[in-house]
Amino acid sequence: MSEPVINVSELTRRFGATTALDAVTVSLPRGAVYGLVGANGAGKTTLIKHILGLLRAESGSVRVFGLDPVADPVGVLSRIGYLSEENDLPGWMRVDELIRYSRAFYPAWDDAYAEELRQVFALDPAARIRDLSRGQRARAGLLIALAYRPELLVLDEPSSGLDPIVRRDILGAGIRTIADEGRTVLFSSHLLEEVEQVADHVTMIHQGRIVLSAPLDTIRQSHRVGDRVPSLDEIFVAHVGMPAASTLDA
Amino acid sequence: MRSPALVIAWEFATRHRWGFAALAGYLVILGTANLLILEPGQAVNLHGSQDVPAITPRLVATVFVPVSLFTYYFVAVFSFGLTGNMAARESMYPTRMFALPVTNAALTGWPMVYGTATLAGLLLAATRFALWPSGVDVPLIWPALFVAAALAWTQVLMWMPYGLPGLRVVVAVLWLMTLNVPVVTAVDRQISESLMVAALAPQIPLAYLCARFAVAMARRGDVPDWRQNFAWLGRIAAILPRRRTPFASAARAQRWFEWRLHGPSLPVWVGILLPFELAMLFVAGNDTPALVAYTLCGALFTPPFMAAFSVPRVRKASFQESDGYGVTPFVATRPLASAALIAAKLRMSVWSTLAAWLLVLVAIPAALTLSGTWPVVTERARQLGDAVGTPRAVVVTLLGLSALVASTWKQLVQSLYVGLSGREWLIRSSTCVTLTVLIFIEPIVAWIRETSDVRVALWNAMPWILAGLVGAKVSAASWIAARLQSSRLLSDRALVMGAASWLVAVLALYGVLVWLVLGPLIPRYFLMLLAILAVPLARVSGAPLALAWNRHR
Repeated sequence: MSEPVINVSELTRRFGATTALDAVTVSLPRGAVYGLVGANGAGKTTLIKHILGLLRAESGSVRVFGLDPVADPVGVLSRIGYLSEENDLPGWMRVDELIRYSRAFYPAWDDAYAEELRQVFALDPAARIRDLSRGQRARAGLLIALAYRPELLVLDEPSSGLDPIVRRDILGAGIRTIADEGRTVLFSSHLLEEVEQVADHVTMIHQGRIVLSAPLDTIRQSHRVGDRVPSLDEIFVAHVGMPAASTLDA
Repeated sequence: MRSPALVIAWEFATRHRWGFAALAGYLVILGTANLLILEPGQAVNLHGSQDVPAITPRLVATVFVPVSLFTYYFVAVFSFGLTGNMAARESMYPTRMFALPVTNAALTGWPMVYGTATLAGLLLAATRFALWPSGVDVPLIWPALFVAAALAWTQVLMWMPYGLPGLRVVVAVLWLMTLNVPVVTAVDRQISESLMVAALAPQIPLAYLCARFAVAMARRGDVPDWRQNFAWLGRIAAILPRRRTPFASAARAQRWFEWRLHGPSLPVWVGILLPFELAMLFVAGNDTPALVAYTLCGALFTPPFMAAFSVPRVRKASFQESDGYGVTPFVATRPLASAALIAAKLRMSVWSTLAAWLLVLVAIPAALTLSGTWPVVTERARQLGDAVGTPRAVVVTLLGLSALVASTWKQLVQSLYVGLSGREWLIRSSTCVTLTVLIFIEPIVAWIRETSDVRVALWNAMPWILAGLVGAKVSAASWIAARLQSSRLLSDRALVMGAASWLVAVLALYGVLVWLVLGPLIPRYFLMLLAILAVPLARVSGAPLALAWNRHR
């Protein structure tokens, strides 16, 4: 069996009195779409930030491609595509400048693919990022996360607050394309119907703890009541006691 | 809590409880212990003279510094300057408060009432409980009224939407530069208190009306946009060739990014200030050697001075988040080592320094030629040549210029580590310390200059002071080098190369100092200590550690 892309072991993180992650252990083998689901404030973004090396493990360990993302950020980040809900692309850059700047960091950058994505997403190369709509900014972020065909694509609530067409682009052009090429996608969301559409494997996180982690089909079958297969939302409520879209920390 | 007054008071009191607690504590100390901490009965005036001594350092430390710091802090608090984006066109008034079911009058009036009352109260208390008992003869009412009016107008400037990004910064700088004019005029001309009160009292209601207009504009989203008037600049820029070839490396791409983000800041500031400074050469009667030298010195010291205010930092990720100084995910997720990110900043700082100095070196000869003051400069240069010999005069001039350029770059990079740490407490503490030093430095220097015993003691202790500073610097650098090596932020080769470069720079500077100033009164070890202290080491090499601390929290 190949080495897992992500291996998180007994990871605990506290922010003051709040325990954001409590002895979390996750292992993601290569080549599938992993949905990380949980209510707002469950710990999804904290876990993703540890995977990216933006947070240092207080206890436990995080390995991505077998490397420590804090000790070797270049080795890890050069193989990851990342798009977050914040989408903090520099507003002063033009789209073509963003592409030119980003391609310098990734030897595997595919100019033809980047241009294809730019045209599909209808991004004007001369437009400044700050003048783009929120959906267009998300598309620009997706473009620079995909154009070097990363081994691991990490999407942190990428479609939150976006219209259905942009969400379709992210799910279709982003997640499925990467997964179809045998790469790995980690996709966090509290919109469970989205996760249900694309994920092969679902991990539920609640109050910093993993409450369920299994292939989606297995989860469905194990929660089957007679002939009726419950939705992921119903399964989530059964485990957590509230819908994923409710806000714990809003 | 239904009253708008209470809601707004609660907002200020809760968010800034530690500031108010510090103010209350200070006022209690002033009210109860001023006789212990001051020098009662000492006759002091604001000018100082042979008959009447100048303000003492103790008075400065216990009254002027705390009152100044509290004033800066509460001006920022009550104008919402701590939470807004000063460079934005939009009002700095928090938009979340526009959704409150209260009138524009309440949104404007209560922060103004609380702010003016706080600052006026602080000034009245300082005068009544500290300055008067110490014999400092200052008026009671008008300084308090002046500070209140200054706050009210600052609120107007901060809450007003502007037509251009950055315009608020320019207006604020001009405002701060002119703020002391009424005080200086009143003190110099000895204007009566009643006249000053009559001039200042109407300012507050007038400022209230302007602030209310600004808040009403901001609340209905009415932000003027004058950028179309400058669209021709964009068209000119579009004609210029844009670089479309790929970057040769990630490091070059990052250098371009840093330049675009921070690079023009220093040259722009220098470009704004230089014309005003050099305009002095064109004023009739300003062609005396002393005034020309004074003007040129001002122009030459502008880049290093402004560099202290143009230090490239991590930008605020969000003005709404408490973690507003953290490195943004976009930058943090670049596949580039923290040391390479710092290297890009250092290289950008070199370009920024050179661009600023190019402006100075073009503007000064142009101004001297156009104003007809070249002969004054050439005559001074001839005198210097006669005194020390032409080769030495040329070398001294070039060395002085190089020192100013190096000092500009040093100013840009030596505080990098503070901003890059991303820790709000460290950034604010550093700002507070800098402000305190700026306030302290002038009276301390005056005190040393005027007290011969202190001068002698200081001169005798100077080797020990310098040795202590060198010890601290070398210890800090050693600790940082060990951390850089253990955390693998820098390779062993890079560490050795860095140390060797620093040593070469120190030896070169030492050689220059020996050649320039060595004499019977100045021993060689003294010059070596100065050279070690002058070449940046610990703070610059701490920048990668600070960034890594911020990037991997």
